[in-house]
Amino acid sequence: MTPIPDRNLDALVTATKAHRSIYTDPAIFELEMTRIWGQAWIFIGHESQIPNPGDFFTTHINHNIPVVMIRDKEGSVHVLHNRCGHKGAKVVEQRSGNVRGALRCAYHGWSYRFDGSLLKVPNETGYDNTGFDSKAPCYSMQPLAQVDSYRGFVFATLSASAPNLVTWMGGAKDCFDNLCDRAPEGEVEVAGGVLRYEHACNWKFILENLNDTMHPMVTHESVVKAAQDYIATLPPEAVEQRREAEIIPPFGASYEKFEDSGITGFPFGHHYDGGKTSIHADYSVDPEYHAAMVAAYGEARTREIYAFNTHNVLFYPSLTIKCAVQNIRVIRPISVNKFIVETWSFRLKGAPESMLQRTLLYSRLINSAMGMVGPDDLEVYRRTQEGLASPSNEWVEFHRQYGRDKVLEDRIVGGGTSDLDMRTQYGAWKAYMEGSIFEAKVSGVAQ
Amino acid sequence: MKNEHRIENFLYQEAGLLDQPNLDQWVTLFTEDGHYWMPAAENQSDPLNHISHVYDDRVMMEIRRRNFVHPRASSKDWSIRCSHLIGNIRVGHQSANGDICVTSNQHVVVWYRDEQRVYAYRGTHILVPDSSEDEFKIRQKRVDLINPEAPQCSLIIYL
Repeated sequence: MTPIPDRNLDALVTATKAHRSIYTDPAIFELEMTRIWGQAWIFIGHESQIPNPGDFFTTHINHNIPVVMIRDKEGSVHVLHNRCGHKGAKVVEQRSGNVRGALRCAYHGWSYRFDGSLLKVPNETGYDNTGFDSKAPCYSMQPLAQVDSYRGFVFATLSASAPNLVTWMGGAKDCFDNLCDRAPEGEVEVAGGVLRYEHACNWKFILENLNDTMHPMVTHESVVKAAQDYIATLPPEAVEQRREAEIIPPFGASYEKFEDSGITGFPFGHHYDGGKTSIHADYSVDPEYHAAMVAAYGEARTREIYAFNTHNVLFYPSLTIKCAVQNIRVIRPISVNKFIVETWSFRLKGAPESMLQRTLLYSRLINSAMGMVGPDDLEVYRRTQEGLASPSNEWVEFHRQYGRDKVLEDRIVGGGTSDLDMRTQYGAWKAYMEGSIFEAKVSGVAQ
Repeated sequence: MKNEHRIENFLYQEAGLLDQPNLDQWVTLFTEDGHYWMPAAENQSDPLNHISHVYDDRVMMEIRRRNFVHPRASSKDWSIRCSHLIGNIRVGHQSANGDICVTSNQHVVVWYRDEQRVYAYRGTHILVPDSSEDEFKIRQKRVDLINPEAPQCSLIIYL
């Protein structure tokens, strides 16, 4: 890897444009993995994935650093480097499962407690008087620099100097609250498995697309028309068919509707569109679910919970959630032109099963590799990846409504069709890459 | 054996429509309550409470076939061609309602976006004999990929 001087990095992003090399240069990708993914809080998993002691879930915190999330015998959740303290082999190979007793390396049998501490080295006497200290942290499975969770969502960071999780989330935290408050019991749990979707393009394209409200009516025009054409053929009594098909047309909402939804940006690159309204606001509410909500919260609070209606919220750079749909997408970068999107669905505790089924229907139709929305998004990302090889213009622009963003104490708000989402995430990109992200007062919000 | 030949021919005919591809006609092979199901996990028992790559009823098939030929569907700007190879066809017993369960192994080579991909799956067809027309309707086609948990690339055609 050729080192890139920081002064050049600084020039790659301005308030209204980004240089094309940030999508295509493998050296910049490697730096992103160290400076963005190596410093930010990265979403690891949800506590409900590992309900019992010894339950584990493995993933990577960036493109290649393997980690394991595991619950210990006292019920605490740990996120450990998945690396044997001895010769470095990954200790846990399966994606998820349960271990009894201790974690054990398949190579020489070193074993570890669920908090990562070294339990036993076979034939230990060979280490007597060699200077080997079995208590030294380097011989354990080491915890990540910081690990924390919020309402069951577990994050970890490789940076000891990152602010605590709640501070880092800022106002975007409200979206976790809203997602969980949509459960009559106030808690959600992972349910119904995961979809993995391979994207042959740079990881940042999907983040840019989440709250790009200028694209749906163009990119998703065909499926919206297909759904509308079909709905037009239905006789009045085909209520079920109409209800099922109605999940799609909001993707063709007008520019005016999207403008009204607004975009809100926070420090560290987080942002969402919607708040008062979103394209999910007009989905009908299941009467049985509504009754359970009113029983739990009362009518007024229930209405308040529904009324906070965001479309996509991004916890930059690894996680995006849909509160109103109860699914999340997790970004797992692989290389400069490849990443995986994982879609996980959530059960609202205390809600009828029909709610989970609706969530899964949504995930299938929209987020599956065989969906009717995702493949058109990926198609335009790939065209962008290929088009940016052209030297005809060195820059990708994001001027829309620049200068009109309104700066409040802890956030920036702007029009729903503005490029505020781009300015927010690229302000953070720049600060992470320069190393100043945790220094500035409202770091990450570019103006 | 006569029935088995008819069933084999039906599977070939169905695959032929996907090879072309002709979704408008393919959809008509399904019963009104018919489903096409591609699970996202091994031995998945439930299409509703667990995620699938696809679980389409006739509503979604109707939307999908219209979208498939829509000029503004950019992922469909690329022509797609398939070649199904079907083997190991086994005709199970007829259930009380007359439905016949047929399993097969299917290898599908898909040409899309300048790339050739191979999919392999165990197919399970629940067929409804239609004696008046001497053919079958599909109540369910289940596609169990050998790699259902793997990250999948965009797949814009039924397999």
